[in-house]
Amino acid sequence: MHDILIENGLVIDGSGGPAYAADVAVKDGRIVAVGQNLGGEALRTIDAGGRVVAPGFIDPHTHFDVQLLWDGAARPALEHGITSIVPGNCSLSLAPLKAGDRQRLVGMFQQIEELPPEAFTVAFDWTWEDFAGYRAALEKSLSINVAPLVGHSVIRLWVMGADAQERAARPDEIAAMQDLLRECLDAGAVGLSTSFVDVDEKARPVPSRFAQWDELDALCAVLGERGRMLQIVPEFYDTDITIARIDQLAELSLKHNIPTTFSPVFDSHLTPNAAPRQLARVAEQFARGARVWPQMQTRPIDISFSLLRPSLFFARLPTWMRTLRLPLTERLAALRDPATADRLVADAGPDGGARLMGELIVRGGDAAPAAMAGRTLGEIAAERGETPARALITLSLEHGLDVAFLAASRGHEMTDRIGPMLADPHVHIGASDGGAHIASFATYGDTGYLFSEFVRKAGALSLEQAVKKITADTAEIWGLKDRGALKVGYAADIVVFDPATIDRGEERAIFDMPGDGMRYVRDSVGVDTVVVNGQVAWAKGAYTDAEAGEICALN
Amino acid sequence: MTARPSAEAVIVGAEIAAGHDGAADLLLSIRYGNGAISQVALDADTAFSVLLAGEAADLAGLIGRSWSDLAKRLEDLPCTTS
Repeated sequence: MHDILIENGLVIDGSGGPAYAADVAVKDGRIVAVGQNLGGEALRTIDAGGRVVAPGFIDPHTHFDVQLLWDGAARPALEHGITSIVPGNCSLSLAPLKAGDRQRLVGMFQQIEELPPEAFTVAFDWTWEDFAGYRAALEKSLSINVAPLVGHSVIRLWVMGADAQERAARPDEIAAMQDLLRECLDAGAVGLSTSFVDVDEKARPVPSRFAQWDELDALCAVLGERGRMLQIVPEFYDTDITIARIDQLAELSLKHNIPTTFSPVFDSHLTPNAAPRQLARVAEQFARGARVWPQMQTRPIDISFSLLRPSLFFARLPTWMRTLRLPLTERLAALRDPATADRLVADAGPDGGARLMGELIVRGGDAAPAAMAGRTLGEIAAERGETPARALITLSLEHGLDVAFLAASRGHEMTDRIGPMLADPHVHIGASDGGAHIASFATYGDTGYLFSEFVRKAGALSLEQAVKKITADTAEIWGLKDRGALKVGYAADIVVFDPATIDRGEERAIFDMPGDGMRYVRDSVGVDTVVVNGQVAWAKGAYTDAEAGEICALN
Repeated sequence: MTARPSAEAVIVGAEIAAGHDGAADLLLSIRYGNGAISQVALDADTAFSVLLAGEAADLAGLIGRSWSDLAKRLEDLPCTTS
């Protein structure tokens, strides 16, 4: 008897080959048959008529390290069809970490993830110091599969203490880091992450940024012993430096026979040559035999701000810039001053700011009335009998300036350019940043957006290509054993979705973080069922009690 | 007689761009002495410091400014966190 039989579906198996009508049978966490009219008894039968049956999606760039300790499903990632995630990116992981260094790391994590303090003080117990201990803590209640990276910054911190954020390492310290990395890989780490960009909560460079080339080279030699991944965040704000990093990654890849990956790669109408130049260099390096995988996200980038902090959104408006850069008390007084407010409105243009500000969206999750969330400032202004610029000021003042506005799709927004890049065989679809920046924007639903925007709307990828990109390709790049395909003997990570409707929901604010902390999320659309290691983890719009997630075995 | 090209790196463009963290970034285009133009994105804190260092009221005030001169002025600014 099968545990699960998924009948009548259109199977897209991850190979990139054409979809075909077939059933999928599951037993003991594995796929045991894929074929037509399998029949036989099953503990659970799922009718997938009119639906696609595909391997579970794999998200290779997340920051769920902390959330996983109280939410083993990494909600809402799983309901979007994600069955495996890679946390520990950008040089930061929760292990190895000595007890005395915890507070230092918390500051770094809070800077990236924007988690509330309670996430580190009441949501879980620190029961580990080494990587194996962290793994054991995760494995207590996982609903999603995890392939964790170990962070270069924490390896430095373990070996060098406070000096990790001060100086280059000595040869003896590099050797100690090599031993420690080896131990982490033995405990299941999928590779090493490092960053040339990130800062802590005091705007100090994270420890990995103090590493010299000999240190990175030595650590990559350890990765090479097992063929494991090096992930980096290059200086993405400068294309020339990023290209130099691509060349460095290629050298490391060739010398140590390791895969490497970097992110983010953005496209923008303001920098139209940036992404094409990076991808061209990547292609040159692949031609040499190097493996340098650029990760590109699917979703466009929004700009968000409130008047609580100065934002460059107003950088073309001198009066606004001057006023909003005042200290808070003086800023409030200036905004309340009728003459100043009149000057600001006048500075916004003869249309009262309609062109500049009318399309701004009130985000929610702040002090503004919930009913306003998702509406444009232009609509709200019209109801109030104000111009958009005036409404932005008065609405903000009415709520202590704690009103968040969003200018949608201001970067990485040109589907006709990005579609072909996503389809490029050298481009690794990822960089979702799931679980990071949680109070700034939603990092969930990029897979749904891949299908809705780039498969259905633009036709840049076929359904089969898109599935392959986020399943089999990802599993192969990262060396995940027996995942990413609907094959007999593979782990039964399966998503059943409607190809006509799969998408990401509207962004909304919820307060489900420890300490009632706020974050922005997007619900899944068109995903019917998610199976992880042979157990239904999400179905009919709800999570189940299944806790079948694992630390991913590696090739 | 032809004018010698400036050996200095000069800001020739300043735009607001969407940043990786959801905030607005400042994207500067810089023309170098050899004629090459490169772009660099600055986060909000850095960008405000650049505007302050250049005594520029807005983006237009940065156009034509020497990049190396601004960098020197930046080093002289008191350290701030916002």
